[in-house]
Amino acid sequence: MYIIGRNIVRFIVVILFQVLVMDNVLINGYMIPYVYLLFILLMPFETPHWIVLLSGFMLGMGIDLFEHTLGMHTAATVLVAFLRPYFLGLLAPRDGYEPDSFPRIHYYGFLWFLKYTLLVVFLHHFVLFYLEVFQLQNFLSTLLRVILSSALSVSSIVLSQYFVFRK
Amino acid sequence: MRTLFRFIQKYSNFLLFLFLETVAVVFIVQDSSFQRSKIIGLNRQVSGYIYHKMNGAREYLSLRQTNEQLALENMELRNRLDRIGLYLDSAVVRSEFRDPYHYQYVPGRVVRNSVFKQYNYITLDRGKKQGVFKDMGVISDEGLVGIVLEASQNFATVIPVINRDFRLSVKMISNNYAGILQWEGDSPRFAVLNEIPFHVNIVEKDTIVTSGFSSIFPEGIQVGTIESFSLDKGNFFEIRVKLTTDFQHLFHVNIIRNYRQEEQLNLEAQTR
Repeated sequence: MYIIGRNIVRFIVVILFQVLVMDNVLINGYMIPYVYLLFILLMPFETPHWIVLLSGFMLGMGIDLFEHTLGMHTAATVLVAFLRPYFLGLLAPRDGYEPDSFPRIHYYGFLWFLKYTLLVVFLHHFVLFYLEVFQLQNFLSTLLRVILSSALSVSSIVLSQYFVFRK
Repeated sequence: MRTLFRFIQKYSNFLLFLFLETVAVVFIVQDSSFQRSKIIGLNRQVSGYIYHKMNGAREYLSLRQTNEQLALENMELRNRLDRIGLYLDSAVVRSEFRDPYHYQYVPGRVVRNSVFKQYNYITLDRGKKQGVFKDMGVISDEGLVGIVLEASQNFATVIPVINRDFRLSVKMISNNYAGILQWEGDSPRFAVLNEIPFHVNIVEKDTIVTSGFSSIFPEGIQVGTIESFSLDKGNFFEIRVKLTTDFQHLFHVNIIRNYRQEEQLNLEAQTR
């Protein structure tokens, strides 16, 4: 019950933080850190898959409504929400994930978390940016934007682990 | 039947994923400018309020810069006033003075702005109640900003130069050749001027202004300067224009109301 309440609060805080603070952080007029993926990343291991999917959908919708990009964030977020269990399976330690632990640096270390975040964020940004451009004409310049933005998002998310979600 | 249920049960998550993804894609595909503005309208009341508050804070932080800008503009206006004084003294009464309003400027503030997307939009805190309607031009002290896309009672959305759907006829000041200004989605500081034929002599650093060929903007509003040009696309130049408006900090704008727009459009419709 406590965990559910905490996740609902986190859902709201993450959207507001993204829209009110992070959307104003612009580097070169190109890149913006999308930290709202934190919500999907930090959901407990044993969350049923359909709940992850539905919350991915609502999260994407929430961001889309504020950013005036109907459907784009939703499509990208639902995709990573769907693939999250496979990513987790891919990165699982030899003995599997321990009960009562969460997908965080505190439990599984910096390297594990970095890999996990990289996979999710890069896939998300890739889908998002190409959907936004909706053409393959400037394939390389879009790819550059994907890579730079991913780097920025990943570092913000990893840093947040040291400052906000320490335990 | 039973196998169907088993199938659904087994792949329920995948089916849910497909369903949600389809919903999202339908949203994207159906998302024309028109629907976009309608759906945003639903959300505008809420997000408009939040952004209004947010902007209060941001505006406070840039007060100093705004002050400087205002002082500059004051000076400019005072200069113009002097020049008009000369006109009046020489007792030449021109028709513009008798028919006072051709263009009127409504001041407004930006409450929502984006610059890093492919389809950027701006929201202003002026709407129908303040006399702002669809298809009115928007400028800032620095130059061209965009065109009003949709207006509600107290808010209006603007499609700025830095939106890939934006098109406007502009001209070069040195030779009066007009072309189409549009944005290619790269940097918010640069746009592209197309449809200038290859035989035109182009001067680097030439100033680009509005042509006045639409009923939206008066002639001669500053747009930008020519940064570079090339003849890549056959018979037409592709001219890179450095925009004078810095969309990354845009707060105060003027919305242009053309009192003769209707008359002009009616006449043009009759002629066709």
